[in-house]
Amino acid sequence: MAKTILEVENLKKYYIQPGGIFTPFKGAKRIIPAVDDVSFYIKENETMGLVGETGCGKTTIGRTLLKLTPVTAGRIIFDEKDITQLTPHEFLPFRRQVQMIFQDLDAALNPKMRIRSILKEALTVHHRLSDAEINREIGELLEKVNLKKSKLSNFPGELSGGEKRRVGIARALAVGARFLVADEPTSALDVSIQAQVVNLLKDLQKNLGLSYLFISHDLRIVELISHKVAVMYLGQIVEMGMAGRIAHEPRHPYTSILWSSLVEKKSRETTKVSTDSKKGTWGVFDFERPHTGCRFAPRCPVYEAKGKPSICNEPSKAPQLQDIGDAHKVRCHFPL
Amino acid sequence: MIKGPVLTIENLRTYFYSKSKQAFIRSVDGVNLEIDKGKTLGIVGESGSGKSITAMSVMGLISAPPGVIIGKIRLSTESIQKNLLQGLKDYVRINMSTGRIMEIYKDNVGWQKNIDRIMYKIRGREISMIFQNPKISMNPFITIGSQITESIMLNTTIKNRSKAKERALYWLEQVKIDSPRLRYNNNPHGLSGGMCQRAMIAMALSSEPSLLIADEPTTGLDATIQSKIVNLLAELKSTVGVTTMLISHDINVIRELSDQVAVMYGGTVLEHGPAKDVLSAGYEYKHPYTAALLASIPNEQHIREKGYLQAIKGDVLDTINIPGGCRFHDRCEMITNKIKERCENHEPDLKDISANHKVRCWLYYDS
Amino acid sequence: MKRYSQYSVEVSDFSDVPFWKKASFMDLVYVSYGIFIVILVIGSYIVGAFDLLPYDPHEINLELLMAPPQSSGHFLGTDFMGRDILSRLIIGIQAYFLPGLLAIAIAIILGTCFGVLAGYWGSGFDTIITYINNLLNSFPRLVLILLMVAAFKPDIYYIMVIVGITNVPVVASLIKGKIQFLKQKYFIEAATALGLKNRVIIFKHILWHNCRSILIIQATLGMAEAILMETSLSYLGFGVQEPTPSWGNMVQAGANYLMQGKFWPSTAPALAILFTIMGFHLLGDGLNNMLERRRNK
Ligand SMILES: Nc1ncnc2c1ncn2[C@@H]1O[C@H](COP(=O)(O)OP(=O)(O)OP(=O)(O)O)[C@@H](O)[C@H]1O
Ligand SMILES: Nc1ncnc2c1ncn2[C@@H]1O[C@H](COP(=O)(O)OP(=O)(O)OP(=O)(O)O)[C@@H](O)[C@H]1O
Ligand code: SF4
Ligand SMILES: [Mg+2]
Ligand SMILES: [Mg+2]
Repeated sequence: MAKTILEVENLKKYYIQPGGIFTPFKGAKRIIPAVDDVSFYIKENETMGLVGETGCGKTTIGRTLLKLTPVTAGRIIFDEKDITQLTPHEFLPFRRQVQMIFQDLDAALNPKMRIRSILKEALTVHHRLSDAEINREIGELLEKVNLKKSKLSNFPGELSGGEKRRVGIARALAVGARFLVADEPTSALDVSIQAQVVNLLKDLQKNLGLSYLFISHDLRIVELISHKVAVMYLGQIVEMGMAGRIAHEPRHPYTSILWSSLVEKKSRETTKVSTDSKKGTWGVFDFERPHTGCRFAPRCPVYEAKGKPSICNEPSKAPQLQDIGDAHKVRCHFPL
Repeated sequence: MIKGPVLTIENLRTYFYSKSKQAFIRSVDGVNLEIDKGKTLGIVGESGSGKSITAMSVMGLISAPPGVIIGKIRLSTESIQKNLLQGLKDYVRINMSTGRIMEIYKDNVGWQKNIDRIMYKIRGREISMIFQNPKISMNPFITIGSQITESIMLNTTIKNRSKAKERALYWLEQVKIDSPRLRYNNNPHGLSGGMCQRAMIAMALSSEPSLLIADEPTTGLDATIQSKIVNLLAELKSTVGVTTMLISHDINVIRELSDQVAVMYGGTVLEHGPAKDVLSAGYEYKHPYTAALLASIPNEQHIREKGYLQAIKGDVLDTINIPGGCRFHDRCEMITNKIKERCENHEPDLKDISANHKVRCWLYYDS
Repeated sequence: MKRYSQYSVEVSDFSDVPFWKKASFMDLVYVSYGIFIVILVIGSYIVGAFDLLPYDPHEINLELLMAPPQSSGHFLGTDFMGRDILSRLIIGIQAYFLPGLLAIAIAIILGTCFGVLAGYWGSGFDTIITYINNLLNSFPRLVLILLMVAAFKPDIYYIMVIVGITNVPVVASLIKGKIQFLKQKYFIEAATALGLKNRVIIFKHILWHNCRSILIIQATLGMAEAILMETSLSYLGFGVQEPTPSWGNMVQAGANYLMQGKFWPSTAPALAILFTIMGFHLLGDGLNNMLERRRNK
């Protein structure tokens, strides 16, 4: 039985945004529940995929795991230690264990540093290395992510989207972490390099026993690389289970819509619920005023089909994440 | 009515000069492309193969001081027929000795002025671009509605503000932003990524351009919104008939939307033809790179077995030291003994295989 | 394998080419000129220390009052007390240099500290610094200096401390603004995630890589400003006090004789001020362009 490396319990992260200039008088602050009561665990050697709509809080979860932003409530237990309670200094040893591949490739690299210094820095944070060793390690890293040596003396602004992405991956690998939050590591890459990155992540997992939290919009890759998948909607996990089951036997209406809207599938697949993408009903959700009760109700085809049952609107009866067997959890009153 | 392609790119070369390496970075190195009216050209290719730089060259956005553009970009629409690179050569002087570039002189101010003169009334009006990162490309301090209205008043015949506003709302509705009247007054940062992307598309379309360049319009969006944007672009193609240059890594999106596909590698086009031929694995005359690229897409079997994906072996191309001969020959798996010598020493041309299918490979020279 | 050699040069080592090799010609000229001025300043100290001056700058020669340049062995002539202008000119810079450095050091060090506190650690410090800034801005600087002079004595060091302190908010707000801008990008967060200590992030990522041009410009401007400040104070009689020579009091003393057509006692130090200030400005500009890789048009 593999050890649990990371356990997240009832994690909450609310962003508080000052409203307009009159807020002090009104006393009203806009609260964005970016992550609202999320629990999951990841074992050693395991990959958990995290998918969901843009802006549903995936990156925010990743950032809290690295203690890059304070949590509002909840516990994050890494290696049997609650890291939310640690001071930054006490957390320092954990920085070696947990790393992140950042989503925003333009912003995560210091624009004034050459690629060589960026990689060198990552290599030397936790280890003392001689120049020769650094050169060798950089060479190895470049080989792993398939980046040309001649790009080492460039500044990030001079690289193409995919090249920046690979620098980001190389930097995260340089530290030698055991747990990697990979925030869309394959976006902006061509399919061949995408394949290389996926293979690399798989290899590292096999050889070094890494665990990943794999955030991505590419559902095929998520299904391929993850052991289990969590689907998020509006700051909450709405469905969680084994990758294959989430993809092929989804129980939550949102999951079903998500997978059926894969561009390649669209033409042939018939799903249990119709997405009705032609109609303009698929509005953007409003974080400030989430629907009471089930948050997905305003868009939910099942809710429509069942004639808008009141249970979906009742705040006190908001659906809970319930186990429906085989480590499969759904947050819905009427699972498919 | 004009005949012929809306945009013709002939032998476009965009080089950056790296002083520290004393060498040219040949980001775009001899690209030939054509886009017919009302059609969509999809561009796929290796990351770093110069897709974005090609698009930027068309938009006249290469201004980084040591950048050099040579070649022809001809835009021929109803109102304008022009070579967009007219006269740019006059602003660059290159000193060579013994085959090496020793120095580049560039009159930056003149270059920029010339570009601005050429692109005046073209950028935004005839060609508009959907950038990959909408939040960066929109002004964060102005509401999306007024940005679109401004663009309409600047670029179309509608000069009346209230009419322009009506038109802006129409476009917001067209891109399926719900309650457009409400969203009209939103700042870009008040929108989620997908919304902002759509607002950006609305803005690009609102000037009713002859040519739309979309650089990875769907990256970073989740599957539902991706399919929405794909639907939108497809719908626009059938109703409005915009000519589009679509750059994407998502082969499925390209397959769904394009009529023609160009496959780029190392700054040049390796294959150019109808989408259904180029992107179908079974097609007979296929460039080895395209074949390898298609093989890297995860298929049902990979997913089911959670196996390794098939990646193209070998290193990505170095844009400074581009190999002589065929650019792809270091990594090519279809190379045969018969053509080995040619592959290593001579670069093949983009050869017509059938009516409108061109391939740059020695394999298809003998037949 | 054949490579297209006409464009590329085989690159053996990708390590960074030192930045001065990539600088544009004009920047090199600017910086060389600036460095030349700095060398002259240092030269002044050497000349002073080894007694290599043509004359003793303090020696009064009542027989040779206002001797014109090139006469009786005085290259630039003598002033109204018969002192050798060249020697006084050479020594004159010493009145500024160390005090000027002090002003710069105060402005840069304190300004950076406050800027980092406000920008990196947040709003509490931010408010305090804004208040201090407003406080200092509400006093005209000259008034503050005159107050200081009145309270203590007209010493150039006191004055420069004030000049330095009044520059602190300027530097602080520049640094603060820059850091707040940088924090919106995620690379500071990425550096934290790597496990870098705050110290390293602040000094390396923020100050060295992204703020050094601001600091260099501020430092060289500060030096130029110190010289100008002393000159204007000399005009009011509060600058460096006779008999210690400074360019400011030389100009001031010489100006009285301009009406009589005796231009040299004031022209020489005025030109010296001009060229020195220009030197510091160009030094800052050129260094900035080099470090920022901005090419000259
Ligand atoms: N620093 C912040 N201050 C205020 N709100 C924030 C901040 N960061 C994120 N948010 C909000 O929190 C929500 C979740 O953001 P997050 O970046 O986690 O989304 P995501 O799931 O990663 O989306 P994407 O797929 O587009 O990357 C968004 O609505 C966003 O507007
Ligand atoms: N300003 C620049 N200076 C030097 N080299 C540059 C500059 N801009 C781009 N390049 C180089 O030009 C090449 C092509 O870049 P481009 O952005 O067109 O790639 P791309 O095909 O769009 O790739 P991706 O799919 O990863 O975005 C890259 O190798 C990049 O490093
Ligand atoms: S020309 Fe030769 S090396 Fe190039 S792709 Fe064709 S077969 Fe391969
Ligand atoms: Mg994200
Ligand atoms: Mg690109």
